[in-house]
Amino acid sequence: MYEGIRSPAVHIPKTMSDLVSVITRFPNATLWAGGTFIMSRPDYYPARESNNIISLSEVADLQRINRTDRYVEIGSMVTFEQLLQVGKQVLPALMYQTIEQSAAMIIRKQGTLGGAICTQGVRLPLSGTLAALEAEAEVKSCQGPKTETRWVEIQRLYDRSGTLQLKKNELITRIRLGLERENFSTCMIAGNPMQNPRETVILSFACSYNQSVISKFKLCMVFPASLILIPQEIDMMMQGTLLPLTSQQINRVIRSVMEEILSAGSQDNPPIQIERARSFIESALHNLNAQSLSER
Amino acid sequence: MKIDCTIDNRPVSLTVNSNKPLNLILMDEIETPLMQSRCRDGFCGNCVVLLNDEAVLSCLIPAFRLKGTKILTFEGFKKTRFWHDLERAYQDTGSHPCPHCYASKTLIFESLLQMIVKSEEGAKSDEEPNEQTIIKELSLNQCPCLDSHEILAVFRSAASYRRRRRVRRY
Repeated sequence: MYEGIRSPAVHIPKTMSDLVSVITRFPNATLWAGGTFIMSRPDYYPARESNNIISLSEVADLQRINRTDRYVEIGSMVTFEQLLQVGKQVLPALMYQTIEQSAAMIIRKQGTLGGAICTQGVRLPLSGTLAALEAEAEVKSCQGPKTETRWVEIQRLYDRSGTLQLKKNELITRIRLGLERENFSTCMIAGNPMQNPRETVILSFACSYNQSVISKFKLCMVFPASLILIPQEIDMMMQGTLLPLTSQQINRVIRSVMEEILSAGSQDNPPIQIERARSFIESALHNLNAQSLSER
Repeated sequence: MKIDCTIDNRPVSLTVNSNKPLNLILMDEIETPLMQSRCRDGFCGNCVVLLNDEAVLSCLIPAFRLKGTKILTFEGFKKTRFWHDLERAYQDTGSHPCPHCYASKTLIFESLLQMIVKSEEGAKSDEEPNEQTIIKELSLNQCPCLDSHEILAVFRSAASYRRRRRVRRY
């Protein structure tokens, strides 16, 4: 039926050093994590040009979860379902909520953490959530015998339009999350980023406070096809603010975020996306108020 | 690429492109009559099969992941005794999936029923599915022929048959 289509060579390294040497030898090969995003693209198969494939599924180092006193480190090939099994004691509530909302169990058993943050062209909910949680990613660059490893904040993996900033010979091996827990967090998703990225909006919001005084206010707005926004100045502006927020303070946050969205060149986005973003922020801040009042 | 696997309890040796999706392999190479997949991108949910006893969307499984695996399509599942639990549940509740999604929804139900079995056997990683989980898993198939009440009724009925089957076995 599909005569003339090249069958890509598949490399399945078992150790980290094998993986590095394969990536060095085949820098143009496609790194294959769970494959859910790659295979859900309409032009995936049959395709005239198919790169060779490096499957990461059997590299044991990428499937570990380590916990220390200060943080938890998660291998990039850990699946969503395995993450949920780790439990709420280890995983931040925001991440737990994001994964549960993102996909059904059948997909969660296949999708991986690394795959979700390295998708090309579309940002998925986990990217925003990890950015709001101030997570870091271990990036390994494979250049022959010389291998470099560095830790990068998740938000620095993307430019403002959400484009992944990794080079061809770089891969994410681990994600590091602090064990400090936020008092309030929420993830809101409207639409399906895989099917309709132009109308989907994702808000990840984490807030810490002590005796009703805000100490951390991390908000990340994602438009899957065009924007990943973490307004740092709002974090600065809100630190030290007393809860519950007044309607003027809520309006000021909404106005600041909307100005940033529009200044990031999102004027062309459909009005429904802008409206969803506005209502998500408002709703999240009212929920924060409600929680802080209920704790009094 | 040469792949040896088991499809519906028959050992099969296939020569296919390494990145060819399983749903196309089943349709083109094996000619599975009930395999339907309209979207080929994971969104219609009509191509569910059991891969090593776990439900998967076959359009999201590449050929190179099939080496040594055990694949059960709806055709093969119909020959097992577990099929009767679901068949009777459909009859008892009067809620039948439509012909387009019958195979997929049945296999999703089966994967949820297997969670009950595993949870009763004490496997740590498997909890018995709650109502929210059942509805979310079934919503993976986008055909709207069963509403959430019907889905839950079918599942409860099938679960009771499955539990009785296990009691008899002991």
